[in-house]
Amino acid sequence: MPDNVERRPSSFPDERLPSGTIMDGQTLANDVEEAFDYVVVGSGAAGAVAAHVLAKSGASVVLVEEGPWAKTREFGERVYDAFKRMFRDVGTQVIQGRAYIPLLQGRCVGGSTVMNSAIVHRMPEDVVEDWGKRFGLGGSITARALEPHFEALERDLNAHAVSDEALGENNRLFLDEANAHGVPARRMQRYERGCRGTARCLTGCPTGAKQAMNVTYVPWALALGAHIIFSCRVERVLIERGVATGVVAWTTAGGPATRSARRVTLHARRAVIVAASTVQSPNLLRRSGLRARALGRHFQCHPGYAIGGLFDGPVEMNFGATQGAERVDLRKTDRIKLETVAMPPELAAVRFPGVGRDLMARLGAFSRLAVWAVVVRAEAEGSVRTAWGGRDKVTWNPTRLDLERARKGVALLVKMLFEAGAREVWPGFYGVPSTLRSPDEAALIEKIPPDPRLFGFIASHLFGACRMGPDPGASVVGTDFQTHEASGLYVVDSSAFPTNLGVNPQHSIMAMSRLAATRIAERGSRTRAAA
Amino acid sequence: MKLAPIENQWAEAALAAIFPGSSEEGLDGISAMNIAAYLGDVMGWVPFRAAMGLRVAIWLVALAPLFVLGRLTTIAGLVPAERERMMTILVASRSYAVRSLVLVLKSFGALLYASDARVRALMQGPPLRSVVPLRRKRIAAV
Repeated sequence: MPDNVERRPSSFPDERLPSGTIMDGQTLANDVEEAFDYVVVGSGAAGAVAAHVLAKSGASVVLVEEGPWAKTREFGERVYDAFKRMFRDVGTQVIQGRAYIPLLQGRCVGGSTVMNSAIVHRMPEDVVEDWGKRFGLGGSITARALEPHFEALERDLNAHAVSDEALGENNRLFLDEANAHGVPARRMQRYERGCRGTARCLTGCPTGAKQAMNVTYVPWALALGAHIIFSCRVERVLIERGVATGVVAWTTAGGPATRSARRVTLHARRAVIVAASTVQSPNLLRRSGLRARALGRHFQCHPGYAIGGLFDGPVEMNFGATQGAERVDLRKTDRIKLETVAMPPELAAVRFPGVGRDLMARLGAFSRLAVWAVVVRAEAEGSVRTAWGGRDKVTWNPTRLDLERARKGVALLVKMLFEAGAREVWPGFYGVPSTLRSPDEAALIEKIPPDPRLFGFIASHLFGACRMGPDPGASVVGTDFQTHEASGLYVVDSSAFPTNLGVNPQHSIMAMSRLAATRIAERGSRTRAAA
Repeated sequence: MKLAPIENQWAEAALAAIFPGSSEEGLDGISAMNIAAYLGDVMGWVPFRAAMGLRVAIWLVALAPLFVLGRLTTIAGLVPAERERMMTILVASRSYAVRSLVLVLKSFGALLYASDARVRALMQGPPLRSVVPLRRKRIAAV
């Protein structure tokens, strides 16, 4: 094991938790019924921040998380183990449409922040302006209103640029190449404290350096008196006479069923805060009886496409920030963002073209491979529904323009990789040679027909499906984050975002949630004072 | 949902063709690993839909010799070189469904194969000895 992993701290924040605040659904012997001021559904970026703000206001709070609490000390490097413990559907979730697009979501305490790269981007101002103009959010969601929340999050989670010590060759190559051509690439800003460049963001940071929710806002909220019940899936929100009064949940075994589930009833004296993600939040609202026309509609995402470049010297993606360098200069003009992404060997083995001896030769060259990706701010909208068996169904098809933009981004990456010194580039498109040996061959990429079945996208960064807006006919939640149909029921995750952003959304999700929770807490305090 | 012994046999033959190992690269093949136990674990964990997808993928490659090579046999009845040739044809199929199903099998195989400590060590090179960047170079952060 590399010694950058071996030198772990003696204890982690997820090991020093106040007693009496934690309930593990897998070990629950009896049904539970309790009351709190606020019930927060989901412990990811949005839920953890909301719980922390509400607990800090002095209210009693309970977080309910469907997945287990995977502890930092247990994080290994095997992707399959991580998929089983921490990913929704063991990493097999897909978006359906003309093509099947893998969709990776966390299902554990901390949600997707446990396996993302903790990238920090403030919500672009043009997005805030667009929301104001097109969706009527101008009076409520403004850059000025979000500013203090961005600042607080950046302070709390130590947002800063990737250090020299954790940069690694994959990121350095990207930056050097961009700088050599006067392109405004930059080191990513990330939430981390003492990152040692283990390149294991995807399977959970083994040193606790990544400031994911499982080691920050969740333990911090518990220290303020909040409670958490994990391995417990919320079945529905209880709504009585148009007011949300709590939730009904069932414990989950987290894998093959080994015991009968227990019913958990949590009454909410003030409000239920839904932060279950863009896929789960709309379906939870639907199971709870909400019927807004916009519910489940307007789903958006950022499809990503990664390609590999083979260098003569070592790149060794197993060292360095998983994602540490980016180009955002094309976000407005071309709706694309270019970035690095270090792949673990298992995912590389999936993405590498070919089978048999060809694949083996590529695997043998893994340590000389750099992987860079294009992320598209796709215009296409899809839907989130409940399919047979109660499973979540996401349907989405990229538009022709989205595909052309992805194509353009990949062609740019091909050129960048060659200019950076790559001997070969492996684009991975169907219908294009699996190995490109000259930058001129980037032209082949631009000729690919705009058919999603020829691409190998992975979807991340999900938005919409509980869109915010003042019009109940066109949105699910109002500008105060409260659903139009039930008072005391709030949605604070990115499902409330009217559109996607074009940048990594965690920072914006957390700032929006923090803004919402602050307003909810103020409202709760006023109500209590009046009473 | 569990795989039948014959399905395990087909899956092992297909995965051995995808990850045969390489003496040049010093990589062992996936056949040296306990594929049946792994697939049993996978089938127990993944949702029904994904388990069905894996099963369909196994049947597809099992019966492919008939349609791809015109041979009245299953993949287990082919010699390794023929299996690899057939998998190469399938993974490049014009049919999106066919190549997607082969990718399903390859994906599950990759999760086993590249998680093996010896394979990882050979893929990634020697363990890093320090946290010092591999090559120090001045980088202008914009």
